[in-house]
Amino acid sequence: MPRSSRSDSRRLVWDKARTRELFAHYRAHQDEESRDELITMYLNLVKYLASRFRNRGEPIDDLVQVGTIGLIKAIDRFDTTRAVEFTTYATPTIIGELKRYFRDKGWAIKVPRRLQELSFRVNQAVDRLTQELQRSPTILEIARYLDVSAEEVLEAMETSEAYNFVSLEGDRTSDGPDSFSILEYIGHDDQLMAVIEDRATLAEALKGLTAQEQRVLYLRFFQGLTQTEIASQLEISQMQVSRLLRRTLRVLRDGIVAREV
Amino acid sequence: MAADRVTLTVPNRSDFAKTVRIAAAELASRVGMSYDDVNDVRMAAEEAFVYASLRVAPAAAVTFVFDIDRTGLTITVGPLEPAADEGRDTDLGARYATFILESVCDEVSVLSSEEVCSLMLVKRTAGVEA
Repeated sequence: MPRSSRSDSRRLVWDKARTRELFAHYRAHQDEESRDELITMYLNLVKYLASRFRNRGEPIDDLVQVGTIGLIKAIDRFDTTRAVEFTTYATPTIIGELKRYFRDKGWAIKVPRRLQELSFRVNQAVDRLTQELQRSPTILEIARYLDVSAEEVLEAMETSEAYNFVSLEGDRTSDGPDSFSILEYIGHDDQLMAVIEDRATLAEALKGLTAQEQRVLYLRFFQGLTQTEIASQLEISQMQVSRLLRRTLRVLRDGIVAREV
Repeated sequence: MAADRVTLTVPNRSDFAKTVRIAAAELASRVGMSYDDVNDVRMAAEEAFVYASLRVAPAAAVTFVFDIDRTGLTITVGPLEPAADEGRDTDLGARYATFILESVCDEVSVLSSEEVCSLMLVKRTAGVEA
């Protein structure tokens, strides 16, 4: 079977003994040095997982940043007494952080207006129904709530979720041991122009926000803080954070849509 | 509901990943999975495609067999070439794909014989006993 000669020659490099040693030291002394070394050691896992979410207008560096927040959370929460590998524990945490980031930022994706609006409504419905039902709603429940078909909900999910196969290419600019070019023989679409357009549109839309709104957006989407964490940091209620986010997202969405029409 | 089987054979090309992803999402929705679980299934379908891409020739086809019943969805992907190193995935891409699959599926297993193997994924519908 033809494969990349580079991928054949590479192996996973995580040192389990060193990982255990660092976790033991970090737990005992809470020293930042051990934590930093753990972060550095597992950054290639973050880079890979982040690369699986790119190609939807988000710079890979931002995705790595979001993924790194997941990694740090995993490091802080990992229970070393459990018989589970750190990579097994960390992967869902990092993926969760990336998924949450994309789900919350549906406004930055360049899709037809009808789907953009439907996607926005689906996200709102998911939030509301999750609160009401105290569980993740089914597709049918979302469809009934919005008075649309289940197929339309699935279509909205397909456009709003960032997960995309094309990201397999990895970082073409790097040839080091941390780069990922695992499927070099599979073609991909060039999305560079769409990325540039999205960023220019977004930058323009951001001008319509107050300093506090921009701060909330930064904390939520770039620092990856939860609404409660933002509320605590800004000394306002979680409800106010929620309202601010809703308003800022609406302003951004309207700004983006207006530029596309 | 009785068990139903849907079989989808696609070329080993990235543009067909979407075909698999949409089919998987629709079937997951059909068995009453939640929004979050449907998203997990979409990711699983995609990662299974990645995994398969590394284990079949570029010109080959990949077959996805979806078995659905009231308990959930089982996806069997094959036929794949056996892993070179005694059944262990030493390829970095396959290992990463496995990490993701194990994160989003209830069960992940590689069924192998001497000549051929397949990847089997199970995602159960929340709140339904097997």
